[in-house]
Amino acid sequence: MPPRRQPQRQTQVAASYLDPEVIAKRRRRHLDELERSNYAEPSASLAGIEEDEDAPAGRSVKGKARQFVISDKREWPGMPKKKSSHSVRTAVLYKKNLEKLIDESGIANYPPEAPTYLSAVASPPREPPRLICSVCGYWGKYKCRKCAMPYCDLNCEGVHNETRCERRVM
Amino acid sequence: MKSSTVIILDNGASTIKAGVVGVHNTDPRVITNAIVRSKGDKGTYIGHELDKCRDFSSLHYRLPFEKGYLTDWDAEKAIWDGLFSHEVLAVNTAESSLLITEPYFNLPNIQDVYDQFVFEEYDFQSYYRCAPAIQTWLLAASLIPYGKLYARPGLPAPDCMLVVDSGFSFTHVVPILNGEIVWNAVKRIDVGGKLLTNQLKELASFRQWNMMDETHIVNNIKEKCCYVSTDFTQDMETSHLNPRSNSIVQEYILPDFSLNRPGRIRRRDEPLEGQAQVMYMNNERFTVPEIMFRPDDIGLEQSGIASTVAQSVALLPEDLQGMFWAHIGLIGGNAKFPGFRERLESELRALAPVDCEPAIYSSKDPILESYRSGVAFAKKHAFTQQAVTRAEYLEIGSNASRRKFRDWKPASVDASKEPEQASRKGPTRPQRGTRDNSPPPARKTSKDKGKGRATTRR
Repeated sequence: MPPRRQPQRQTQVAASYLDPEVIAKRRRRHLDELERSNYAEPSASLAGIEEDEDAPAGRSVKGKARQFVISDKREWPGMPKKKSSHSVRTAVLYKKNLEKLIDESGIANYPPEAPTYLSAVASPPREPPRLICSVCGYWGKYKCRKCAMPYCDLNCEGVHNETRCERRVM
Repeated sequence: MKSSTVIILDNGASTIKAGVVGVHNTDPRVITNAIVRSKGDKGTYIGHELDKCRDFSSLHYRLPFEKGYLTDWDAEKAIWDGLFSHEVLAVNTAESSLLITEPYFNLPNIQDVYDQFVFEEYDFQSYYRCAPAIQTWLLAASLIPYGKLYARPGLPAPDCMLVVDSGFSFTHVVPILNGEIVWNAVKRIDVGGKLLTNQLKELASFRQWNMMDETHIVNNIKEKCCYVSTDFTQDMETSHLNPRSNSIVQEYILPDFSLNRPGRIRRRDEPLEGQAQVMYMNNERFTVPEIMFRPDDIGLEQSGIASTVAQSVALLPEDLQGMFWAHIGLIGGNAKFPGFRERLESELRALAPVDCEPAIYSSKDPILESYRSGVAFAKKHAFTQQAVTRAEYLEIGSNASRRKFRDWKPASVDASKEPEQASRKGPTRPQRGTRDNSPPPARKTSKDKGKGRATTRR
């Protein structure tokens, strides 16, 4: 029996700790974080409640118009007051995020040889990735056995284990 | 249409560069393209109003752009309203023409909204919309002395050029052949100034001070301290030797808004005031901009700028490739990083064929390059010719700009799309007698007026 168990345990370790899909997910989430305009969720801050309702930009419920329209709130010297046309009003009141707009634009159905936003992305790099210590930024010679983040020495490993390990994994 | 005021609007995701031809020919007004709320003074600042802000701690940003594309029209309208008003440009849009930039590969459904805003909201007489790099070519062609990019006195503008436009949201490599963007060779790297600032924010917050809410401060630090390394391995070793004292490390004194003291780099042996907080900028100085050249350092599976340039050139006609290598121009804010040009040059030299010598043209003001080129273009006859007029828009709606503005969309796709649109919005082909069929935009506006009123009254 024991000889049988060992390989089983090994595969388990590999699956639960270094699953490339988990790492890929972590990367994607990190990249999404790097796209954010604000770190703090606006709803958490208290100042200017009326703007906060709307500020997360695009969280409005599907089909529901904005409650707070900032472009209506301000009058500017020299700008004539006017009623916006229906199309303009729709664009102001109903925000769509980029993902939805790409979807609705139909560029995914363009012929494959036609260049679009989707096809213009640079191809994956040819060089192998460099490992950089996630703690101090120096070359990361080692990888954490639990979460595969690189670190450079014992000191950084300690910091990593205390603060960061698996924080980004989920 | 008589000659009227022409407004140039280089509508960047981070800053708008705008002005009136004849008034702001070289120095446009540069305003933040955001609505900002300051936690310190509880004020809300729309676009240009940010100049009045005194407390830049914990600013909350609402950006009209998402990943480089205009999605929040409410915010953008508020900012544009302020921009056209007496507070900034003081123009009557109904008596003006407009030249506006749009992102590369702008989506057709977003383009329609541009048209609607320009003609239905601001009633411009005519307008022209194009990607920033195309204007750079026009500048080169016109050899206007105040734009240095590509302009070499005595020599005609090159027919082939490759613009590297590295801005706030992303970086594009844009080949231009005889004044036309070669769209199938345009490549995008999803690394821009926003990502770099956020990366620095994250590094600084993990290693030293929590700056996650201090986008404005960290962006300033990035602009003052960061550089593109020309020898990454060497800089890495130098910065590693003694993290607090080496030839790379800088101390940045964080701003104190209560004392109205801006942040700055500490000079050598400068005594520190008691309460000053210092941030050490060591390998952060060069590992952050490094991401443009090695996006895989943060796990982004895309090639860096240099190999993307090579990829793009490889897609161009073989006999012209040497010409593209020899005319590479840099625009966009990231070109301001010291070392950017040198690093790109050395990497390109390794990638270019032996008989090609890559030559890079850079400008002192890479951020304003596109605006200034726009001014040059607006003065030309071509602008009046290629612009869509309000009358054309009122007649056939957005089809007018689909026909007149050359962009990335292949002709075949446009043609195949039009009938579909026609079935939705009514007939659009002009030869079928637009009057009897009542043209879609005209009918729409009359119907919409009622609707618009109803919604605003509610």
